[in-house]
Order: sequence, then structure tokens, then C-alpha cells
Amino acid sequence: MRLPGTTRGPKVHGLMTRRYEDDLRLFGSGKAKLGLLALVLLYVFIPFFLTSDFWLSVLDYAGIAAIGALGLNLLTGFTGQVSLGHAFFIGLGAYACAQFGGPDELGLPLPVWLFCATLFGALVGALIGPFALRLRGNYLAIVTLGLIFLGEHLFRNLKDITGGNSGTNVDSEASFLGLDFADLSFAGENFSFNQGYFWLIWGLVALVTLLVKNLVRTRPGRALQAVRDRDVAAEVIGVQLGRYKVGAFAISSGLAALAGALFGSYQQFVSPDEFGLVLSIQYIAIIIVGGVGTVFGSIIGALVLGGLPGLIDKYSDSIPGVSTGSGDSGFISVFSLNQAIFGLLIVLFLVFEPRGLAAVWLRVKAYFKAWPFSY
Amino acid sequence: MTGTVEPMEAAHHERPGPSEPSLLEVQDLGLRFGGVKALDGVTFDVRRGELFAVIGPNGAGKTSIFNCLNGVYRPQRGSITLEGADLLRKGPAEIAGLGVSRTFQNLGLFENLSVVDNLMLGRHHLMRTGFLAGMAWWGRAKGEEVHHRESVERVIELLELEPFRTQPAGKLPYGVQKRLELGRAIAMEPKLLLLDEPVAGMNLEESEDMARYILDVRDRLNLAMILVEHQMALVMDLADRVMAMDFGVPITVGTPEQVQSDQRVVDAYLGAAS
Repeated sequence: MRLPGTTRGPKVHGLMTRRYEDDLRLFGSGKAKLGLLALVLLYVFIPFFLTSDFWLSVLDYAGIAAIGALGLNLLTGFTGQVSLGHAFFIGLGAYACAQFGGPDELGLPLPVWLFCATLFGALVGALIGPFALRLRGNYLAIVTLGLIFLGEHLFRNLKDITGGNSGTNVDSEASFLGLDFADLSFAGENFSFNQGYFWLIWGLVALVTLLVKNLVRTRPGRALQAVRDRDVAAEVIGVQLGRYKVGAFAISSGLAALAGALFGSYQQFVSPDEFGLVLSIQYIAIIIVGGVGTVFGSIIGALVLGGLPGLIDKYSDSIPGVSTGSGDSGFISVFSLNQAIFGLLIVLFLVFEPRGLAAVWLRVKAYFKAWPFSY
Repeated sequence: MTGTVEPMEAAHHERPGPSEPSLLEVQDLGLRFGGVKALDGVTFDVRRGELFAVIGPNGAGKTSIFNCLNGVYRPQRGSITLEGADLLRKGPAEIAGLGVSRTFQNLGLFENLSVVDNLMLGRHHLMRTGFLAGMAWWGRAKGEEVHHRESVERVIELLELEPFRTQPAGKLPYGVQKRLELGRAIAMEPKLLLLDEPVAGMNLEESEDMARYILDVRDRLNLAMILVEHQMALVMDLADRVMAMDFGVPITVGTPEQVQSDQRVVDAYLGAAS
């Protein structure tokens, strides 16, 4: 029924819903729709206003980290399986990118090598998954820690594929439907490498975020969280532990490999040194700072921390006590400073804000909902 | 989907007579942990719609029976059949699919998930959406969510959980958590419901509330239930039949009156006069 005087049906605020279907909408309320629009506008226009290669590269690395962090958060945050082996899967993806996409190798097009790298990571992850059936907590963490060293050994010694210690070039084509993201020209306008990759990477971030968000709000995602909260009870209500633990490993590793493929393709060069324990710990720091067990937290954490190494590198000259060259007199190198900051952030957040920035954001939102009445 | 969560006319409950066919049959169950006999020669049956209680002092093996029934423990001896299907060689998840659900003595809720999500997890084995369909919000994913959300709402109504829908289960008061666990178990639309000390740690009013919910559930859904409980008032007032156990061995099975007046039961609780 339409009330007299209204031409467009009842106005929908999205605060109250009449049907369960409306309850399930991701962007149900007007505010959420506005937020989505703002994000889309930012996505499209950031590269136009922010043309500095440095700042774009910070955002590009953050986007890559966001995809990897979504994967780790799915496994560690949502399924409760602590993994220190994330860097191994990132490395797999990077080398897979070189193999599937390199013109001297298979030379597949962009969507295909992205997909193949993801699938490859997922398959290897599914092989590791069964260990999680027998181990949990710290014991599982140690098995996944082993992966790092296994990976480093493989990356250094499979010289035909990985180029050994000296690394390998990744020159996969980054073009799709006539758009070459590495050298983008569109409507008579030419864009730089970093601008093109911003759209590629953050487009994929949006896609992966949507997929993960959908996963965690439907049956399989609820089952993952049940496994995390109480695995015996989960099994007794009919959740097959094996299936969901292995599934979580597969999807998490697939996303790590996707991030790795983008990383390789963005840097155009990878070497085994990049995929050590430090990278795994950086990802753990990202999800802890962002918010363990939240989709939003993975992205906010990646934005805050993903670009940090680049920032420290750039501004190391103006930080006292940091040595930037070999003959310098600082007491800490740029690399060690990075590690120290990640370590410090993990400790500080675990002690003072274990639910991460996502929880801070919710508090801020709740405050302004009631503003100016703070009670 | 069966309509067992549909609101029905509350039929007056009558004790199922001996002529009723058995739903669950347990024969000569034996469970050992190394040299310790947790269960020995446990035999009983539960009829459709019956509220069967298991009592006994601490360590009598009551919870062990539950763990055998849902496949958490593997007994070394005996047989368990539900409607003729053998449960003994099946895992917990499979047994859940066959229609056995349970509540836990020390709460088995998913603390970080909301009340609705906990109840939706009860319907996990009735749903089919897999990883890929869920991620893509594709195919049956959405329809299934809506459909089962409706069933969950009936459970919420039956157990009066309306004020708590979106709250995380771990933050609820204890009594409500116990009720939510009952809700999750009946959301599974089981044939047999195992209640492990549903009123443990509750005061009299809370126990009375819980008793009312249990009777409501039985009358509306016509479930068979096995109740393990220490509070004798609850057991004697609600149960159709009672099995008393001591040191893993059943002492007697009978109506509450029979069991209450059995000297062996009194001895098990108070120690035999020598």
C-alpha cells in the first residue's frame, strides 16, 4: 500500500527490516550505501590526485598485504589455527606468478595466472591442512614454522624455477581486456606503472573482501568460527572438523598465493630472502593490530602496517639513531627497526587493545551514533 | 525439512507405555580408559517421546554414556542403535546428522558468535551451502540463510530468547546461556536430545524456568530425551523412567517411584550400612 503523497514507496532507512532477506544485505542502510559510494570514488580517483610514485607504492604494498592478511585472518582469526607459515605461501604465489605468467615460461594472461597461482597455493595449503587435524595451538604453529624453513630451502635450491639465491625476474603480463596495468593508457590518457597497479591491486582487494565477507556470514564461515570457539561442541552439532580445517587452510593459502603473485608481479623481481619468518610475523602483526577475526580489521591493519617498511625506509634519514648505510654510526639498521616496530606493535596491541583497530573503530562509531549525548 | 520446530498444539503428555517401539537401544556397553572401567554392561532403551533420566553419584559414568552416544568416545564393547542404525562406528558429525543432539554440562556455546549464529549452527547439518557457494553468495546460499533463519526464529520464540538475538553468547547471563544451549540442540531437529545437567549451578527459580522449557520442548516437539542431572527434585518430577548408576554399572531401571525406594540406590548415594 502506498500512503497518499508518496511517490516512491516507503523510505528505507535500513535500521529496521521487515524481512530476513533485508537483514542479510551487506549494504542495507542508506549510510552503508553512502560509505560504499565513497569507497568506489576513492578507488577510482586516488591515482589521479596522488600521482607521487612513493605514496602510490605505499598504497600498492598495503593492498597486497590486505589480501594476504584476509587469508591469514580467515585461518587464524576465524578458524583459530595459528599459522607462522604464511610467508611460505606468499613465496609460492610469487614464484608461481613467474612460472605461469612469464613470457619464457607458460606466458598465460593476467586473470589466468592470478587464478593458477591462487589455485596452486590452495592445493599446497590443502596438503598442509591435515596436520591441523592432529595438532592445535602452539604445536600447529611449530609445524607451520617448519614450512618457512622448508620453503626457504626449496626457493634457494630449485634453481631452475626460482633462480636460487640471486632470485628471479617476474615479467608476467599484466594486461586484461586490452588494459595493460603496467602501462595503462585509457581514453587518451597515459598512466604510470604505480597508478595502473593501484587499480589492479585494490580492485582485487575489493573482490577478495567481498568473497571473504560472504564466506564468514554463511554456513561454511559459521562452521569455521565454531571450530575456533569450541571444536568438540562443533563436531557434536555436525560440523566435520577435517573438512573445515582443511578448507580454511586451502582458502587462506590460496589468498596468500594471490597476494604473493601480485607482490612478484608488482616488484618484477623476487628472491628467497623476502619470504622468511619476518614476513610471517609482519602478517601476524597486521591482523593483530587490525583486529583478529574481523574482515575489516585485515584491511585497516594492512593500511596501517603494510606500507610501514616503505615509510621507514624513506624517512630513516630523519629518525635519529638509524643507520642507513654501511659506514653509518646509528645503533639500529632500517631492517632491524622495522622488525622492532612490528614486534612492539604486537605486544602493545595484545596488552592494550587485543581486539585491534576494528574494535576502536566500532567504539568511535558507537560514540558518534549517540553524539552529542554520550550516555 | 521436517516441521518439528513448527509451533504445534501442546498435546498433553502421557507416559509412553512399554508397547511403544524403542528409539534408542543400548546393549552391554563397555568403556575402558586403560585399566579404569568407566562403563560396564550398560543396557537400556529409550522410547519415542520418553524422558529418560540417568542418575548416580559423581564419577558413575553418566557423562561417559553421553560421550559414547555422540561418538566422542569409542566404547570397546556393546552396541548402540538409533532406529536400527548402528551408531558405534560413526563419528560425532555423522551421528548429529542421524538425529542425536546434546547440551554440555559446562556449556559448549560458541562464545564469540551471536545468539542467532549459535542457533544457525544448530541447523548446520540441515544446510548444504559449501565454501564456494558461500563465498560467491551464489545459488542456494541466500535462500538457505533466509529459510533457516525463520526456523531459528521459532526456537527463539519457544525459549523466549528474543532480547538477546544479536548478543555474543559468551556475554549472556549463565541461565540464558544454558537456555541457548537447549535452543541450539533443538534447532538441530533431533530425534533424541541428550541433556547433560541442564540446571547445574542454578537456583530454584532458574531451575523451575528450565524445567518448564524442557517440558515445553518435549510437548511441542515430541522428542525423546535423556537427562543427566544431580538435582533429584527435577529428575523425579520430570522423568518417565530413571536409570541409576554407580561406578559405571547400572543398578536399576524403573519409574521414579521404584528407583527412589530401591535400597541399592540409597546405598550408592549414602554408602551401604555395614
